[in-house]
Formats: sequence, structure tokens, C-alpha cells
Amino acid sequence: MVDAHPSHEPVAPALVEVSGLSLPAAITHLPRPDPYLNVEDYEPEADAMALNMGPQHPSTHGVLRLKLFLDGEICFKAVPYVGYLHRGVEKLLENRTAIQSVPYVDKNDYVSPLTGELALVMAYEALLDVEPPPRAQVLRTILMELQRIASHHLWLGTFCLDMGGALGGGSSVFLYNFRERELILDLLEALTGQRMHYNALMVGGNRHDVPPGWEEKVLATMDRVEDRLAEYEAMTVDNHIFRSRTVGVGVLDPLLALEAGAGGANLRASGVDHDLRRDAPYAAYGQVDVRIPVETAGDCYARFLVRIAEMREAIRIVRLLVSGIPEGPIGALKPPRHVNAVKLPPGEVYVGIESPRGELGTYLISDGSPIPVRVKIRPPSLHAVSLLPYLCVGATVSDIVVILGSLDPILGEVDR
Amino acid sequence: MMRAWIDTLFAFSTTLRNVGRRRVTEPLPWKRLRAHPERYRAGFALTDDEHGEVACIACKACENVCPSGIIRVEGERRESPVTGKKRAYPVSFVLDMNACIFCELCVQVCPSDAIRMRTAWTIPGTSREDQVLTLERLRANAREGHLSWATPGRLRAMQDPERKNGEGGEP
Repeated sequence: MVDAHPSHEPVAPALVEVSGLSLPAAITHLPRPDPYLNVEDYEPEADAMALNMGPQHPSTHGVLRLKLFLDGEICFKAVPYVGYLHRGVEKLLENRTAIQSVPYVDKNDYVSPLTGELALVMAYEALLDVEPPPRAQVLRTILMELQRIASHHLWLGTFCLDMGGALGGGSSVFLYNFRERELILDLLEALTGQRMHYNALMVGGNRHDVPPGWEEKVLATMDRVEDRLAEYEAMTVDNHIFRSRTVGVGVLDPLLALEAGAGGANLRASGVDHDLRRDAPYAAYGQVDVRIPVETAGDCYARFLVRIAEMREAIRIVRLLVSGIPEGPIGALKPPRHVNAVKLPPGEVYVGIESPRGELGTYLISDGSPIPVRVKIRPPSLHAVSLLPYLCVGATVSDIVVILGSLDPILGEVDR
Repeated sequence: MMRAWIDTLFAFSTTLRNVGRRRVTEPLPWKRLRAHPERYRAGFALTDDEHGEVACIACKACENVCPSGIIRVEGERRESPVTGKKRAYPVSFVLDMNACIFCELCVQVCPSDAIRMRTAWTIPGTSREDQVLTLERLRANAREGHLSWATPGRLRAMQDPERKNGEGGEP
């Protein structure tokens, strides 16, 4: 018999009011482990052991090193070490003009490069007080949602790969998801000319307009992606082994998530209804009614359900927008002809957008010279990694693999 | 326990359904299933102008804009043997593909429609020096063809804020 999951129960969960927010009572104010626990003081019940997971570990999704202190098989302290992928992107951006810096942020979140580009470009636009034309805004929104589907496809594939062989054999779901992600990359390739590091946006608009017949291709691809998504749901949502690996594992207290600054599906799976696409609309999100999926269980399974629902919602937004792209230019400024084409006024701005992983922000300070004085990127994945010392305590090593996968951190973005 | 077996078998039925589906992986290098789109950007070429001379005027716009700093252009002013007019020509044009990030910004800023990217995505070589493109190799690439759609002029016409509807979008 499959265990009941709160998300499947028809009864609304009990809510508790905390500083103006209605949070699910069952997971709020959970006991919180001490992340700074002195290992010498801990008295293990079984053999104590320190285990290094990563940096070269396939399930750490990059180069994250987790130092786990184990009591038998149960973790009692976890310390994440980041920085293996540090490239000094912020310092690089402080030595580049607005035109040169866009290709660099592609490499931060390499699973969804377009959101990184948009966060930077929108910061420059806010500083310059430039509004892109409607066609560019709608195109940007379509690109962001296509990128969200591609990003969640990769996440779903790797998440199921971490789960093991019960889901149709070894790496089946992984390979199927890559197959569908490839279809979306083909669309982006036809538009921008690249598959991963697009350099598709520039200050004031987009760099590329839609090629002929692209809209029909998008609609056909959306049909296929939605069709296949139902297959993956059938393989996972009610799968007994999948559920026993995820239900009740890595329960995230919404208060802890808010304190740590977590965002995206991690936050919404814990019952916090927050999404910048609806709460602070940018690009053309004001024109569509974005429905935000929220779950209240806070475990790995809830985060999985939220991301699947987000993929369906992204498909719906793309379908809505792609049939009615307004005519007109795609840029508000003259196309750049030299490196200093964009003159920055003095000032400072912060712009946050909803990347597939949460709030991705860019903080920009300019003193009026062509290059910014300071660029700070707020990566949502860093805040997801900062939850690990809390979520890993009390879990087995095999559960930690699932918890890490469900948080969906991208280490290129964490280390910058 | 029984439920776990049933669910696993059900998951495997999806795997079986996928056995019969068309192959999407490409058996490289023997066969490519689909061509890259016309905007694909992989290599570089320096095109000629209408008089058969290199179109580059050695203005160093690409050298200045390149985020990786991999382009070095040296130029000189001389008389054209064809038209008799005086203009700048590149004496050396070095583009180090080892550090290229394929951002297309050099094409974006070129004032004379000289530099273009190519859709030929295999860049074979046996050493790092093979990936350093010189003026001669860049011009040979242009004669060989496989050029991307985007010329500097087309890109800027597409991005122009005053362009008319439907202009500059193709392909």
C-alpha cells in the first residue's frame, strides 16, 4: 500500500500564522540541528566516521564537496565546501563594458544560461532607464520559459538517475529527458545560433529575431514535450520505490527556507507562495496570468511535484505567447558598433528575476565610467547549498544523494 | 513488496515503448541526422570585398570588443592595386580559437562586413598552434564556404530600432 502523501489528500493542511505568512503547521518550527556542532562532543551510538562525498562524485551535480560525519549510517553533521569552480566572474564583469559582459554570465548557471543573461541585462537597463520594445519583451519571456523547461528536464533526469534502477532501468529517465531537452535546445539553436552559451540578449533588447517558421516549430515541440512528460509522470509519481525514496525525506521548514534565502521550487514546496514572475512581473509576465504551483509537505517528493507542475505551466505560457508575438523592432537602442557603445550613468540598482532555481539577482554600481565599479550576482543555488547542513542531519548517505538532487543546485552558479 | 515489483515492471513498459522509437543520437562521424541551422556559429572567416581584396579595414573594433582578448590586428594604409584608392589593410590578423567563447561580438561590431562566423563545426588539428587562425587561413575559410547567415550588416539591420515590420528577420 502506498503511503498517503499530504499533497494527495483532499483536506487542506492546517496553517499557522508566522509574521504575516500562512505556513503549513506540520512542517513549521521543526527542531533545527546545530550546524556548528563540535564533533568531539558528539557521542556516537555506532562507529563514528568522517566521509568525504565529492568533489568528484556523480551525484553532487558538479564539484561540491560534502564532508559528512556519520554515526553508523546516519549523518550527524554535514559541512559543504564550495569554490572548486570559482572563476571570478564578478571581478571579470568589473573589467568589461556592458556589451562585453553578457557572454560571461552564460557560464554561471550553465543549465539555464538565458536567465543569467536576463538578470544582468535587466540591471543595465534599469540603470540606463531603457525599456525594451514589446516584441523583445515577449520574445524574452518565451525564451525564459523554454529555458525553464530545458533546465527542469535536466534536473528530472539527473534526479531519477540518482534514484537508481527501479525507474525503467538504470539511466532510462535520464536519457529520455535529455532527448526532450535536445528538442528545446534545437529551438534555441535555430534562434540564436548556439546550443548552450547563447549571448542572445543585449542591453535594450534581443540580439536575434525569430527565424521564419519558428513559432510552428515551438508549438509542435511543446506538444511533444507535454506528451512525453506524461510518460515520465506515469513512471515516477506513483512509483512505490520512487515514493519511498522521496516522501518524508529532507523535510524543509519554511521558516528555515526563508531565513536561508532559498527560492524557487525549494521554497514553494514548503508552502510559501512566492514567485517573482507573478509578484514583481518583468519582461512580458504581466500579460500572462502565471499560476504558481505550491505544495505543503516540504519533502523531496513535494519539490519534485512543484517542478513537474512548473514544467506544465511553462508549456502553457509558451503556447499562450508564441501565437501572438507583437510586430516591431527587437531593440530599443542603436545596435552596438564599438565596445563603449553603452554609456552608463552613475547610480546603483538591484534587479531580481525568477530563474528555474529561485531568485537570481544582479547588483550593479556604476560611477559613470564605461565599466561598472561593482557587480554582485545573487545565485539561488548558493542559498540552496546553505540548507544542506540542516537537511542532511539525521539522513542516511543514500538519502543525502536524494536531498542534494531535490535542491537542484548548479555549482557553476554557486562558485561564480 | 509486491507493489514495488508491479511499479518497476510498469516503469519498464515505458522503456519497452521507447525501444521502438526513432533513434535521436547521431552516429558521428559517419552520419549526421540533421544539419545545423543557418545561424549556427562555430568557426571564423574573413570575406573579400567586391574587388577581390580582403574587406577588413584593420579598424581594431573586433580586437577591442572581444571579451577574451584573442584577436590581434595589425594594419597599414596603402593604395589598392585594383581601384587605386588609399585605405587601411590588415598586415596580420591573428585569432586564437583556443580561448574563443563564440559570442559573435566581433561580427556584431565589424563596420566593413569583413568577419563572419561559419557553420562548419569540426575544427580539426593536432596541436594548439593549429587552432590559431591567421589572415591566410581566415581568407581560405571564406573561400571554402559554410558561412553563417549573420553578416555584421544583417545582424545590425535585424536589431535596428527603426526597422520596418518583418524586415531583417530571415532566415
